[in-house]
Amino acid sequence: MDRSLCTLITGASSGIGRETSIRLSVSRQLILHGRDAARLEETRRLCNNPERHVFWNLELREVDHIEDSLTKLLEQNQLAVEGFVHCAGTLKLLPVRSVERAVVRETMDVNFSSAVEIVRLLIRRKVNEKHLRGIVFVSSTASQFGARGFNVYCASKGALDAFMRALAVELAPGVRVNSVLPGAVRTAMTEGMFNDAETLKRFQSEYPLGLGEPSDIASAVEFLLSEKARWITGQQLVVDGGRTVNITA
Amino acid sequence: MDNPLDLHERRILVTGAASGIGLATCQLLSRLGGRIVAVDANAEGLACAMASFEGTRHDSKSFDLREVERIPLWMLEVAAAGGALFGVVHAAGLSCIQPARLLEPNRYRDVMLVNTEAALALARGFQNKKVSEPSGGSIVFVSSVMAWAGSPGAAAYGMTKAALIGLAKSLAVELAPKRVRVNCVAPGFVKTPMFDRVSAMWDAEQRTHVESEHPLGLGEPADVANAIAFLLADTGRWITGSVLVVDGGYTAH
Repeated sequence: MDRSLCTLITGASSGIGRETSIRLSVSRQLILHGRDAARLEETRRLCNNPERHVFWNLELREVDHIEDSLTKLLEQNQLAVEGFVHCAGTLKLLPVRSVERAVVRETMDVNFSSAVEIVRLLIRRKVNEKHLRGIVFVSSTASQFGARGFNVYCASKGALDAFMRALAVELAPGVRVNSVLPGAVRTAMTEGMFNDAETLKRFQSEYPLGLGEPSDIASAVEFLLSEKARWITGQQLVVDGGRTVNITA
Repeated sequence: MDNPLDLHERRILVTGAASGIGLATCQLLSRLGGRIVAVDANAEGLACAMASFEGTRHDSKSFDLREVERIPLWMLEVAAAGGALFGVVHAAGLSCIQPARLLEPNRYRDVMLVNTEAALALARGFQNKKVSEPSGGSIVFVSSVMAWAGSPGAAAYGMTKAALIGLAKSLAVELAPKRVRVNCVAPGFVKTPMFDRVSAMWDAEQRTHVESEHPLGLGEPADVANAIAFLLADTGRWITGSVLVVDGGYTAH
């Protein structure tokens, strides 16, 4: 059975995921994943060839439902996944003493465990034959550095990057696996932080090239997923306007 | 649809342009519309290389980068003659395989000069208002996975390539107000003339070992050129002080 090849993007309903979807829609058929159907529809309308793209509406924190849901989706639409971009992420800023078990579970599930579950499925011959070629995780510079209140978020992105490196070795040469580590980009997820004028000003002074745009991250994801990166695997690409090399701020 | 890597009308100086990664970079950048200033110590090789670029509005300069002191002034002449530069790619590099006990300064001085000190001099030349475009620009140094990995005999080479990363990070912060970005690519073992010279000293077993250390096999110069173009072009608009490792998985395991 010939299935059409597509690229799966989680967290496609806003921010970096939406921008990445719009960019990749020029040359690829997409599975747009998100939990908010209305916002997902808006992403689709912004894409090239909107009618080609398929929705996958699921709460990723329901990790146990991923297998069944994604398997059915691929089967019903006769799709096989050649590219996987994990953009979905959740961020709860809390001092560690206030972090409850439920926050840990949700952050790890959405940011990390869901990616493990999806990869596990996509390399299964019965589900996806051997079509998977490229994986890009949208991690964060928080996987490398600490920041107040970021505790569990840092851990979840650190886990994602460590998983990325291990996958790169395990799945080579058939599948390339890399991550992009953005600094502070203004999106719905981070808007809470930037609502505060004081915080916004501090961030702007710490970033040598200023704050980033979702399109800056989409460019990096697109490059790593493309054939131009055919010899790049197991790498973390930092896209942060120079923030993590700057110790003057 | 516009090519996101488009470099039309952008003048880019590339060192080590006569062979290997430098040559592949010139070829790619010329296809992306860039105007190349091809620099190499080997004049004959340079002439040959120029014939493989797309388009005609390129310049070639035979220059020995060991003359580090002359670099900034020489760049001023290059800009005065042909227009301001948008970017610099420092791909020139000398290899050095010597056990550390033999590494007297005279054995590694040239390697340090060409691989590292020339990079600093190129950046100093570039930051001159008369050399670079007023709207900003992009500098890429070709480092190496040998900045992290160790191998007997590679002390001098590794030292010069690791220094490029340190250099790029502070330059990135310092030049950001001028909208000049500074990044490194760090290749693994790529099939270049330099690799051929180095690997000629290996036996079959060592060769198999090095290949097997790269989960995606050995690389092609074009693989590294693609990463350089990505960092140079507007696709790298918010990337500075970064190191993009292009190594077929060598450092991932």
